[in-house]
Amino acid sequence: MPFGDGETILDVTRRAGRQVPTLCHDDRLKPAGACRTCLVQIEGARRLAPACSTKAGDGMQVTTANERIDEHRQNLLALYLVDHHQGHDDCEDGAPCELHAMAAAYGAPTDWEPLPLARAERPNDDNPYIEFRADRCIACARCTRYCDEVEGVSAITMAKRGIETTVSTADALGLFDTTCELCGGCVAVCPTGAMAEKMPLVAKAPPERKLHKVRTTCNYCGVGCQMDINVDGYGNNGKGQVAKITSPPPGTLPSDGNLCVKGRFAYDFIDHPDRLKVPLVRNAQGELKEATWEEALAAAAKGLRAVEAEHGKDALAFVSSSRCTVEENYLVQKLARVAFGTNNVHQCAAT
Amino acid sequence: MTNSIGEIRDADFMFVIGSNTSEAHPIIAMEMKRAVKRGAELVVADPRSIWMTTIADKHLKLTPGTDVWLLNAMAHVILKEGLCDEKFIEENTEGFEALPEVLERYTPEEAQKVTGVDAAVIREVAIRYATTRKAAIFYTLGITEHSHGTDNVYALSNLVLMTGHLGAASMGLNPLRGQNNVQGANDAGATPIFYPGYQRVDDEAVRKKYEAAWGVDLDPNPGLNLNEMMKVAGTTIRAMFIMGEDIVMSEPNISHLEEGLNNMDFLVLQDIFPNETMRFTDVVLPAACFAEKDGVFVNSERRMQRVRKAVEPPGQARADWEILVSLFAAAGTPLESQTVSEIFTEMTSLAPKFAGITYEHIEKLGHGIQWPCADDESDGTRYLHEGGVLRGRGLFTAVEYRPSLELADDNYPLVLSTGRTLYHYNAATQTRRAQGLKVKQPEAYVEMHPKDAGRRSIGDGDWVDVVSRRGTLRCRALVSKQVQRGCIWMPFHFAEARANLLTIDEGDNVTGTAEYKVCAAEVRRVTGEPKPTRSSDREVEFLPGSFYRG
Ligand code: SF4
Ligand code: SF4
Ligand code: FES
Repeated sequence: MPFGDGETILDVTRRAGRQVPTLCHDDRLKPAGACRTCLVQIEGARRLAPACSTKAGDGMQVTTANERIDEHRQNLLALYLVDHHQGHDDCEDGAPCELHAMAAAYGAPTDWEPLPLARAERPNDDNPYIEFRADRCIACARCTRYCDEVEGVSAITMAKRGIETTVSTADALGLFDTTCELCGGCVAVCPTGAMAEKMPLVAKAPPERKLHKVRTTCNYCGVGCQMDINVDGYGNNGKGQVAKITSPPPGTLPSDGNLCVKGRFAYDFIDHPDRLKVPLVRNAQGELKEATWEEALAAAAKGLRAVEAEHGKDALAFVSSSRCTVEENYLVQKLARVAFGTNNVHQCAAT
Repeated sequence: MTNSIGEIRDADFMFVIGSNTSEAHPIIAMEMKRAVKRGAELVVADPRSIWMTTIADKHLKLTPGTDVWLLNAMAHVILKEGLCDEKFIEENTEGFEALPEVLERYTPEEAQKVTGVDAAVIREVAIRYATTRKAAIFYTLGITEHSHGTDNVYALSNLVLMTGHLGAASMGLNPLRGQNNVQGANDAGATPIFYPGYQRVDDEAVRKKYEAAWGVDLDPNPGLNLNEMMKVAGTTIRAMFIMGEDIVMSEPNISHLEEGLNNMDFLVLQDIFPNETMRFTDVVLPAACFAEKDGVFVNSERRMQRVRKAVEPPGQARADWEILVSLFAAAGTPLESQTVSEIFTEMTSLAPKFAGITYEHIEKLGHGIQWPCADDESDGTRYLHEGGVLRGRGLFTAVEYRPSLELADDNYPLVLSTGRTLYHYNAATQTRRAQGLKVKQPEAYVEMHPKDAGRRSIGDGDWVDVVSRRGTLRCRALVSKQVQRGCIWMPFHFAEARANLLTIDEGDNVTGTAEYKVCAAEVRRVTGEPKPTRSSDREVEFLPGSFYRG
């Protein structure tokens, strides 16, 4: 296999279509070589080497799977499992977490004696979004490295040593009192569900209900991050309910699979009871009253036509929206121009 | 943006002006942080101390509204130091001759007097900008929301053109769009002067094309822009159709607008939540939100990306496009295109910049398409102006400094700016309803310098009245050194204290964008048991709660 400058064994094996499991690695992070799940055998080397942090070299012969590697991986994953919470093997949405999925894929034993929980939690962290569940953490440090290297705020760090190793903040403060911007990147990168979303919608979804993902574009700012809406198809009486929003994999354009606090967490407006649900028409007494779609549309068309007839087409104005889609903006300008003959159409472009 | 978001991390010099990037565009800020970690230089020009200034190499803390002075002084230095890219100017631009004469008086020393930024710093930043190849400029509303917003942009593009920082990766001029689909709304022709794809309504050939396609006669005269519409609402404008905007919350000088809306004959509102504008509305059409419909958004880097329906809208609500299709029919002018993808293709097929972009093409590429796009073989355009400037030649426009429309005086000695914060979003109908976001920033506030607060006996957290020539509103004081002395700042997200009651509706004479960023104001401490004020006693006529839940 040819390779480029600075490419790691992992980069090359991936290009070759070989599966090498990784736990502590994320494409957005500098390789840490910490979890050892990605060990491969390099011809001539006595010890197995981590694929994620070893640079490819000329003439290198690499084996990604053989008995020795498999046995090493099974034992390693079993060790991680004893450090992970016991109980059912799914995380909150009916799908196994990365660690469980990996353990199953590589046939790791699951019956080893569990370790007593020694990691500290932060029970008084009252931020509304992010929860740290110490019993699931395996101290892979993906979250803290993401917080430092990608989000650039270093709000969380690894603390303590040995089996007490935990994810903490300066003085174990709640995230609100740190530099945290609540981007939720730690939740996205965590392979075990230890960093989790606190949102009630997720908490409510019964674990047996599988969620399905719909890739879409964030509706908040002009970056246009891609996001996956996780839908509980049975929710809202079968209309479907947004259970949570997750980020697509690293490398996804335009934002490398990252999201900010708004994109990731500000979605419960969708199911908010205040949503407008029925057309309204103002009656003779000046009150807005419920109407059918037919009545409302007819009233809208009639009202606009009446003003056009009395004051001319340029007495009408159409305000479109930079929150709505291209198609919708297209239709509003066409409505103004074609149905009513005026160029009085604009939107809140500046704000 | 002339560049792509992914190019930012490779920039070597970033000049950020009038953009509270980490709050308004967190992901762009993330890319900038990456560049800084790599060793790139970051210069932030902003009247306030903001998060970005904490990681910046330099913070140019300029007096609000003096951007042209700062930028012209930088151009002055580049010119005097002989750092212009003469070859680029010769081959790609026109109008350079007019520049030296205008720039002559904009010396850094004079600029220091007006902007408050040290002359030596201006000089150094100008030289660093001109001599770094991968140098990119970023700006947002802090630049455009001025009566001289267009001048600010000209002054910026002069800098770009004179140094030839255009037409390659990680350099150029990058406006960061505020709302998700500002780019797309403009692309789609929701403007009084353009059909889709920036084709002018007063261009005869273009108009003929659309007349043929749409089968009607079209008006050759440009219409009113938003700012003009709002000023004559209730007088010349007698009826309005509004989709997805809470104009009472987001437009400047609300008192005037509310009076106008009261005098309107007819108002249709199409939105996802009840809002402040609903008080004046005759027909309300309940719409679907982004998760409940299909369509396309276009991001700041001109990338057309799919929005996909994930769940059904609540109650009887329908997608905006569906409602519009029905409204065409109800108005007696039914449409041929009936599905979103047909509507999209209808739009792109008539606009050369979007040629060949269809839903299938977007799906095929898998990462959206950055226009311009030549045909259905093309995969779009990563950065604009490659190999020469797009409009033929880049035009220099020499600009003179004009003071803001309203300057501080004895009665209103403070300069008020408004802006957004990370945890809320514009009129906030969406994010104020998202429960976590309320916790982090629950209340409206006005930020003021300790010295200004002290002189008025105002303590941190006190209730205050913020007063301008147009109105008064009540909120809490946040005493902080983030703002300069003489300046105050308010977020504009809160219905109970609408910062736009105070701002001016006089706008930029080219774009019609109102001057949200600068107006004169005063702050007074409220004594006794204060209550937040409302601008109008007409309440929204909410029907019984269960009605909304049905
Ligand atoms: S919380 Fe998750 S990502 Fe962070 S160290 Fe623990 S297992 Fe790894
Ligand atoms: S996730 Fe954040 S940065 Fe990305 S588009 Fe949404 S609001 Fe913008
Ligand atoms: S993935 Fe390579 S050591 Fe963790």
